Amino acid sequence: MAAAYNPLKPQGDELPILSVRDLTVAFDQFTAVDEVSFDLHNGQTLAVVGESGSGKSVTALSIMRLVELGSRAKIEGGEVLFRGGHEFSDDGAPIDLVTQDEATMRRIRGNHISMIFQEPLTSLNPVYTVGNQVAEAVMLHQGLNKKAATARALEMLDLVRIPEAKRRLSQYPHEMSGGMRQRVMIAMALSCDPTVLIADEPTTALDVTIQAQILGLMRELQKETGAAVIIITHDMGVVAEVADDVVVMNRSKIVEQGSVYDIFESPQDPYTQALLASVPRLGSMNGTSEPARFDLVEQEI
Amino acid sequence: MADDALVRVDDLCKVFPVGGGSKVHAVEHVSLHVGRGETLAVVGESGCGKSTLAHLIIRLLDPTAGTVHLDGTDISTLSPRAMRTHRQKMQIIFQDPFASLDPRRSVGDAVAEPMNVHKTLSGSALDDRVKALFKRVGLEESHTEQFPHQFSGGQRQRICIARALALEPELVIADEAVSALDVSIQAQVINLMMDLQEEMGLSYLFISHDLAVVERISHRVAVMYLGQIVELGPRPAIFENPQHSYTKRLLEAVPIADPRQRRERPLLVGDIPSPRWAADESPERVELVEVEPGHFVGVEDNPGATF
Repeated sequence: MAAAYNPLKPQGDELPILSVRDLTVAFDQFTAVDEVSFDLHNGQTLAVVGESGSGKSVTALSIMRLVELGSRAKIEGGEVLFRGGHEFSDDGAPIDLVTQDEATMRRIRGNHISMIFQEPLTSLNPVYTVGNQVAEAVMLHQGLNKKAATARALEMLDLVRIPEAKRRLSQYPHEMSGGMRQRVMIAMALSCDPTVLIADEPTTALDVTIQAQILGLMRELQKETGAAVIIITHDMGVVAEVADDVVVMNRSKIVEQGSVYDIFESPQDPYTQALLASVPRLGSMNGTSEPARFDLVEQEI
Repeated sequence: MADDALVRVDDLCKVFPVGGGSKVHAVEHVSLHVGRGETLAVVGESGCGKSTLAHLIIRLLDPTAGTVHLDGTDISTLSPRAMRTHRQKMQIIFQDPFASLDPRRSVGDAVAEPMNVHKTLSGSALDDRVKALFKRVGLEESHTEQFPHQFSGGQRQRICIARALALEPELVIADEAVSALDVSIQAQVINLMMDLQEEMGLSYLFISHDLAVVERISHRVAVMYLGQIVELGPRPAIFENPQHSYTKRLLEAVPIADPRQRRERPLLVGDIPSPRWAADESPERVELVEVEPGHFVGVEDNPGATF
């Protein structure tokens, strides 16, 4: 288990598990991701934040090399260096995911880097039980037989604190609430002990009390597994709650990156400043009784 | 409750029959008022009945029981014809502005429609009014000729606001009206709504799941849970001195955009119970008691046990 990541402590000799370098992705003429670079370390939670169309989800899909499937997107430049150890290179040197063939990527996805999405109902197959679907992941990736895979599925549902996990195994997605479904997705994503988890707006579709449960769960599981997490979100509240470090994206580019404290307490870029000025902060109105306008920075975002 | 309130809702109920003889009590014995020039926020999670309440007040739905008074008139039993004059006084804005606008119709036309239907203006006076409304919500006069797909989400919501204002209503119901917008656009639209309230003396019924936004915009807040109001009071009372365990839980769940205020998160697993009841059963009514002037709290036998 990796030690808890501390953003204020230099990482010293520890090498990043994932290094994105000058990543550029285009849809025909439109550059959706423009020379994006950042590092991710074991145990670290990195938030990629931005508004609609800023390129944050395309960045995530490009790391997984899912972006080119069924779309006109093309990774036009840059590297995604993944330190996957001796399984992928003799000397344990990082491999560039951008240049890997599909067979290698299939070994990486789910096993080493896995992903959860915003809407669990569209990510789950409606005609299979959740137990079946969680078991399928470990059968495919880890070659377990059906019995061992089902046992693993049960273990995973327990891990994500689903009550009565045994009974839930035989339920279909529509029989579960949104929060339970997202727990199932997390169980599936973690079932092969990935070193990197990418969560794309994992709580955006959930009610606020359920969101709190899922964020608490993700934080707890990260402590237990030591995985590195990239969380893609538009919600600065979620960023403040979970991130060690933050990458702010606007119009396909990174405009600022730093520790969560730097970003919230002394944002340097005008876009970050404007974004933070428009975020309502619970408790900011204490001691007043009248509504108050947002003090917006005069800038077109 | 204030007698001069613009809207007064008394003991409003809405029960939807669902399959197998069971029923959903979407709104249960809700009583509240909206004062003139005031913003009353209704907050709660998915399925708590807050949108149904809005639809009942504007009579997109008819209540199962209870009354809605607008300006002193009971509108809950008016005929469609008699309802027409009262409809001008209240308008609603929905969450998704694209779904609220006809894609084949110019947005100027969309904003003019209520005035055409209610025959308040015509000819060049109507054109001038549409242009004035566009300017008022921060759009260009030249935009009136364009179509919904040519605008961004924030601009579309401004168009819906212009249309809602066309008949000079007294009450505007905003049903998650800013929830789908990016945060910077959301802040702009909220500022616009506050400006309009100040200028025109509008009352807002602001339906939202986002407590941080509600804290910013509202004078008073009603918290709904499973169709019933569990707490109602002035905004400072609800946010700084919440009494009901559900209000507390809701407030504790909101992530604060400040990393120094990070909170411990409960690992407990809870789903909100179903609002579905068998034909011969009904939910237990939540009694509200006034704990300080204007601050009503639902009585709990065993605080927190059900949440």
